[in-house]
Amino acid sequence: MTRYIVRRLLQMVLTFFGATFVVYALMFANQDDPYQVLAGDRVVSDSQRAALNAQYHLDKGFFTQYWYYVKGLLTGDFGTSLTGRRIGDMLAEAWPITIKLTLLAIVISAVVAIAAGVFSAVRRGGIFDHVTLVLTLVVLAMPIVVLAPVAQLIFGVKLGWFPVTVTRDANLYQLLLPALVLGTLVVATELRVTRSSVAENLRADYVRTARAKGLSTRRVVGVHVLRNSLIPVITLIGVDLGVLMSGAIVTEGVFNIPGVGFNLFRGIRTEDGPVVVGFVSVLVIVFLVVNLIVDLLYAVLDPRIRYE
Amino acid sequence: MPGKSRWRMVAPVATIALLAAGCSGGDSQDTEALPNSISISIGEPQTLIPSGVVETYGLQVLTSLFYPLVGIDKTNKPYTMAADSITHDKSAKVWTIKLKDGFTFSNGEPVTADNYINAWNYAAFAPNAQVTSYYFDRIAGYADLQPDPATKKPPTVKKMSGLKKINNLTLQVTLDAPFIGFETVMSYASFYPLPKAAFSGDGVLNKDFNEEPIGNGPFKMTGKWQHDQKIQVTKVPDFKGTVPKVDNITWKIYQDLGAQYNDLISGNLDVDTKIPTESLGSASSDLGLRLQKSPSSAFQFIGVPTFEKDFSDPRVRRALSMAINRQEIADQIYLGTQLPATSWVSPQIDGYRANSCGDACEYNPTQAKKLYTQGGGPAEITISYNTDGGYKSYIDALCNQIKSSLGINCTSHAVPSLSELVKDLQEKKNVGLVRLAWAMDYPLMESYLGPVYTTTGSSNYSGYTNPTFDSLVKDGDEAKTPDEAIKKWQQAEDILKDDMPVIPVMFGQNVYGYSPKVDDVTMDLSQNVDIYTIDVAS
Amino acid sequence: MSDINAVTTAEAPGPAATRPADASSAKPRSLAGDAWRDLRRSKVFWIAAVLVAVILLMAVWPTLFTSADPANCQLANRHHPAGGGALFGYDFQGCNVYARTIYGARDSIFVAVVATLIAGVIGLTVGLVAGFYGRWADAVLSRFIDIVLGVPFLLAAIVLARRFTVHETDTGVLAVTLTLGLLGWTTAARVMRSAVITARNQDYVTAARMLGAGPGRLMFRHILPNAVGPFLVVLTLLLGINIAAEATLSYLGVGLQGDAISWGTSIAGNGPYVRVVAGPVVWPSIFLAVTVLAFIMLGDAVRDAFDPKRR
Repeated sequence: MTRYIVRRLLQMVLTFFGATFVVYALMFANQDDPYQVLAGDRVVSDSQRAALNAQYHLDKGFFTQYWYYVKGLLTGDFGTSLTGRRIGDMLAEAWPITIKLTLLAIVISAVVAIAAGVFSAVRRGGIFDHVTLVLTLVVLAMPIVVLAPVAQLIFGVKLGWFPVTVTRDANLYQLLLPALVLGTLVVATELRVTRSSVAENLRADYVRTARAKGLSTRRVVGVHVLRNSLIPVITLIGVDLGVLMSGAIVTEGVFNIPGVGFNLFRGIRTEDGPVVVGFVSVLVIVFLVVNLIVDLLYAVLDPRIRYE
Repeated sequence: MPGKSRWRMVAPVATIALLAAGCSGGDSQDTEALPNSISISIGEPQTLIPSGVVETYGLQVLTSLFYPLVGIDKTNKPYTMAADSITHDKSAKVWTIKLKDGFTFSNGEPVTADNYINAWNYAAFAPNAQVTSYYFDRIAGYADLQPDPATKKPPTVKKMSGLKKINNLTLQVTLDAPFIGFETVMSYASFYPLPKAAFSGDGVLNKDFNEEPIGNGPFKMTGKWQHDQKIQVTKVPDFKGTVPKVDNITWKIYQDLGAQYNDLISGNLDVDTKIPTESLGSASSDLGLRLQKSPSSAFQFIGVPTFEKDFSDPRVRRALSMAINRQEIADQIYLGTQLPATSWVSPQIDGYRANSCGDACEYNPTQAKKLYTQGGGPAEITISYNTDGGYKSYIDALCNQIKSSLGINCTSHAVPSLSELVKDLQEKKNVGLVRLAWAMDYPLMESYLGPVYTTTGSSNYSGYTNPTFDSLVKDGDEAKTPDEAIKKWQQAEDILKDDMPVIPVMFGQNVYGYSPKVDDVTMDLSQNVDIYTIDVAS
Repeated sequence: MSDINAVTTAEAPGPAATRPADASSAKPRSLAGDAWRDLRRSKVFWIAAVLVAVILLMAVWPTLFTSADPANCQLANRHHPAGGGALFGYDFQGCNVYARTIYGARDSIFVAVVATLIAGVIGLTVGLVAGFYGRWADAVLSRFIDIVLGVPFLLAAIVLARRFTVHETDTGVLAVTLTLGLLGWTTAARVMRSAVITARNQDYVTAARMLGAGPGRLMFRHILPNAVGPFLVVLTLLLGINIAAEATLSYLGVGLQGDAISWGTSIAGNGPYVRVVAGPVVWPSIFLAVTVLAFIMLGDAVRDAFDPKRR
């Protein structure tokens, strides 16, 4: 087990640099003229260009630029954004709020999806099953670009139950509405997958055995079936982090949350390579850790899976 | 290991994660809640170093931190603010600026002529890469601070020869060529002074200055710039200039206009400087009289690649202009918040003539179709626009109108950012029509005519070139009196009517709203809230 | 390098049995034959099939449903109520909402179906290989998934849009499809991998291996049928998510553009005006929801019919 974890941690280092390389390459492919973006309608003169190039090396080839970036990274320096901010500071400011937001969204959607999924699987074809199906469809059919402003308008402005916008030091309650909106992105898939794998497991032999032994339905479902059905669901939660991150671009904009999505969006728009790569590098580390936890949970859920 | 104990292992991890998420830092000191304090919406500024600022948000914040040499009054005439007097020689080539005595920066440093000279030299010195560097190109010696045009070698001279300190409170500026509008130009943010504290060496700016700039204005920052959140400023005690009525301003930073508006109507924001068009339907009932409109200097137009064979015939360009129903777009797409543009300079500028575009800007599909066929216009056109500015509905509507007026095919083409378009245009690629806009730097006709239409204009993306036009604009620059200048510039504008290098479409307006807490909210042509008149409602 | 070794513990619960051999019937029947017999009797299947057929017909032959021109938009008609050929009224550009919803089916369905197919093929392959072989294969493929997860959708969309836009009038269908397909497979792959990891440790697989089954046979005959359930669910939902994601990409300015008519562009474009007139947002959303419903039903029915455990 320990050896396995150590190996995975070592893989992380490689993956980390792989990810920075891929994203740096994408940004490079996307790069037109970041200086011009900053100048807006005005033309950037050759002399300004020369001065900016001395600082940001954008006139150099791809590998030279990437080498400068990696050299900085190795000394713990994420570089500076084109607007002159230290990217390390930007990361430190943006990450905490986004982690809170996505964690909350994950917890909410997982609780809702698992509870509703189990229930509708047990009563397959019942009213509850149909209602959840309809709700799933509604959630799927409402893109987050519509859902987020509408939710903000109804629950924030009209009803006043939640704050309309959120600041960097928001508490859990203030983040609840954006987290709910964000959670809708993944709740449908999680719910349907829970339902399908619970339904499948309900037909398994061990359920018949357990029932025959006289165990209550609640115990059969709650302990045996649920546990065996969770693997696909847990897997989903691990990957959904990615979905949530791209959803955060819209959600954070609508609720004015200065988090990762907010910064990524602007970074991509202003062709600010180092900013985007910086944020994505941390993002990839988060994925690596989360998917390691997910893989370890497999072994917890199914004792037949062992890691050495 | 039996299954159950494994479950117990997982539980605490999850709990810790949740707790970590739940613990949040306490509120930072908030001046918003204090009496006589207000909040105003902005977007995240790019920088707060005066010579680096070209966008509205940065400029707006700087209006509270700095006090300009000259201000611009309601009739667009300059008047002295930090300057005691501004005089020039007969030819308007040598300018003498006397500063008012007793002014200090918010850190206590007295404001002297050196502060201006150092700031301007910093801005002009090419290796500092300041975006507004070109503002100083009229000053003698500017060229010495630029890289050698032939060898591309970086400059060694760091000071413009045209700037001279006469005494502590007087400086003399010598221009390369006479320019009557120079006093007006000095109202721009790039001409703010910088304190000694801003520099860490001779001509080297302190790295942290941007995070907490020190100015000579009526407000100073309380704490650092909280990026993407807010910038808080508080009144400077015993300010020598005009004293604002409010004590504290929180510049609240938003990324989304919808969020900004929703914050206004739910009482979290006092002034919303830009109400999104989509919210206008409900804004009048939400805000009543607190929904306001005022003129801005913004000018929206469609750039035509005049260098392309398809569009080289002026008749084709006039036809496209006549195929557009400006009034309908203003009413239906902008719900009356923008005004149809039928000339090439903003109505707010001295020298503006209503409808200087004449017939060519009047909606006339029949005539348009005739002209278009005569000129041999292409059967298929595209209008490109950048998607980061919310122009889609405007361009789609424009295309629909052109389609039905001219019977040709029109496609709107979205590109992620303006820079991509600008680059293609500069390389004279055939990108078809392009959505463009311009806002003045200073209230002179030249601020539109010079950059956008002259051959060497910094933002002339249509590739338009007409020597007569260029020389008329130059004549205006060098005219002895403002009236004479306007006459020349108007003659230049008349040429545009025939050549139609760009198609004027809309003049912008500020559409803003405020909470019941504040009063006397006005916005100027440059889309800035007037921080001197704004007050807390009694 | 995850060494995932199967050790079957006695007390562990799990679907221990292999596919029960149907000894009762005299003639051996194929799984597909059985499935088809089941399907034909399923009401759900027929409803779904009819719905899908109608939607596909709409995509292929929109003039069958409306004679109005979806591109004929007059600002004078802005937000006019239903009337004439416009069953659902007019949107903020003065376009016929009904006509646009009908014509929107084509690009929406194309983008969603093709992107889902791309994601399905990549996801299935990567998930199956990573889960079945473990070790190096799993390490490399899983870390590759992590990298792909890290690539922001928006960035990939911008880059692909640029690479695959040959002409200004290109509506970007290909670029959007590729973006959604090439970035959207990670969920499917990880779900497939987890199901394969679970399945390959089952007794029947060990038994089959003992009997000398090769990796190909193990994967496709024994593991896949038992592991494909959650994968199919993810895929059917991905179809709906892709239709909606196209709207989000449009909102961010990198979706379908120009003359393109799709449910996503309609929803994103009219979204800001939903307070004024809801119809232009609601109608395409309903069509979207019904499409997803049809595919979910179809997926459920097909999966049930093919599920070996149900026999």
